[in-house]
Amino acid sequence: MTTGGTAVWRQLARRPAVRTLGPFVPVVALWWALAALEVFPPAFFVGPDVVLAELAGLLERGILPGYLSDSLTRLWYGVLFGLLIGLPLGFLIGMSPLARRLTWPLLLFFQAVADIAWLPIVIVWFGFSLTAVTFVIVYTIVFPLVLSIVAGIEQVPQELVRAARSLGASRLRIFVEVILPGALPSVASGVRTGLGYGWRALVAAEIIVGTSGIGFMMFDARRVGDVAEVFLGMIVLGILWYALDALFLAPFERATVERWGLVRQEAAR
Amino acid sequence: MTAPRAPRIRSVLWFLAPFAALLAVWAAVVAATGVPMRIFPQVTDVARALVGMTVSGELTAHLAASLRRVLIGSVLAVVTALPFGIALGASPRLSAFFAPLLRFSVALAGIAWIPIATLWLGYGDGAVIFIVWNAMFFALAYNTMLGVRRIPLPLLRAARSMGTGRLRMFWEVLLPGALPSVVTGLRVGLGYGWRGLVAAEIIATGAGLGYALFLAQKTFSTDVIIASMVIIGALWLIMDRLLLAPLERRTVQRWGMTVAVS
Repeated sequence: MTTGGTAVWRQLARRPAVRTLGPFVPVVALWWALAALEVFPPAFFVGPDVVLAELAGLLERGILPGYLSDSLTRLWYGVLFGLLIGLPLGFLIGMSPLARRLTWPLLLFFQAVADIAWLPIVIVWFGFSLTAVTFVIVYTIVFPLVLSIVAGIEQVPQELVRAARSLGASRLRIFVEVILPGALPSVASGVRTGLGYGWRALVAAEIIVGTSGIGFMMFDARRVGDVAEVFLGMIVLGILWYALDALFLAPFERATVERWGLVRQEAAR
Repeated sequence: MTAPRAPRIRSVLWFLAPFAALLAVWAAVVAATGVPMRIFPQVTDVARALVGMTVSGELTAHLAASLRRVLIGSVLAVVTALPFGIALGASPRLSAFFAPLLRFSVALAGIAWIPIATLWLGYGDGAVIFIVWNAMFFALAYNTMLGVRRIPLPLLRAARSMGTGRLRMFWEVLLPGALPSVVTGLRVGLGYGWRGLVAAEIIATGAGLGYALFLAQKTFSTDVIIASMVIIGALWLIMDRLLLAPLERRTVQRWGMTVAVS
């Protein structure tokens, strides 16, 4: 390769889109080669061309968009209720040392009963329904969120609270201007972890409850041995979460840590 | 290290008291409302189910099956993810290439692999162990990479300028330097792995705690369902609090210093 060529390459490599998507090119190429050479039997492993054809077929019949919107609706409801319950609960518990002491063991325990273990009893209660799936997602989001909010409030340096109090700040002002910003980085990372667990729970719930959605699509395809559809489902799930994480959650977390995390670092010095 | 006995007993009591309160509320509510056992069991029903499972040996069989899978899966994950993560952390080029791929895979890791794992490996131990490995691998590799990157450059340069070989570099600089982050990765990864295990056992096998849950759901035995859930929760709490959290604390105390020097 000429030096001019490498310069062009370097220029290209600096673009974020190329840096992010570039690594996928050789991986897809390798995948294609493995499939074309039939290293693995085609009943277990198909190439990207077959998956693309499957995608076209499912799009045409409207199955994929339908399932996708089902999954996203469930996730949306789960996240909405999860945040509505988790945020106030976390701050309520975090603000009172007694409440913290009394609920901490229970929080740890309920966090430890893995969300998926709730599925069987939830199915007994609500049947194979949207409520069952939503319940599990809400559960999955609430506990990591509450735990990290409580931990976050605990980490707010006591000097700051005392300083604000001795300057005559009211309880409300201390909450709004000291504790809330101080705990915000933990809240942000709690939201991100909670959503990550929620996302996995959604897939598991759809596989087990099995009425519609991407998880159901994959498991149904597995039952009839349609590898292409299973691959497609995994790719759709991966892209969806990557987009969600890269476009919303990571910037949100970074912004709060950059903006508010400094408070803590300064105080720690 | 030996803490005075009285405060320790008191902290254990503080830990247990909320559970006692919860049990009391549970018993009172069920007794007051008279919910049928098909919907929600009484505390005593669950206790009876627990005893029944223990006496019949079912519990030991399920526990052994689940723990064996977690153990094999996590050993495999550590053996594969550690070298990979260290290689990524040590080479900026490798990590630039693999970072987007890793991020994509983390999103998928674990449960989303269940359909394909059962297709490739059949319903059984193989598929479940694969899921545990898969769920842990990415979290572990990613955190190891971060750990290596956080090793202060002066330390690396000092070791290199004193003529440290590659192997010694790995054992004496990279691995200990990354250890606090590795242990964090292990803890997060095991969390995913544990969830993956339960899901995979519900779907893919004929033994294990997840399977016990699944079986009980089919017959609407809510007492056995709740008993299994309690066991799953208690087991994870024991693993996390008595094994992983102290491990994390110790490694941070012992090795975290090297990072804090900078």
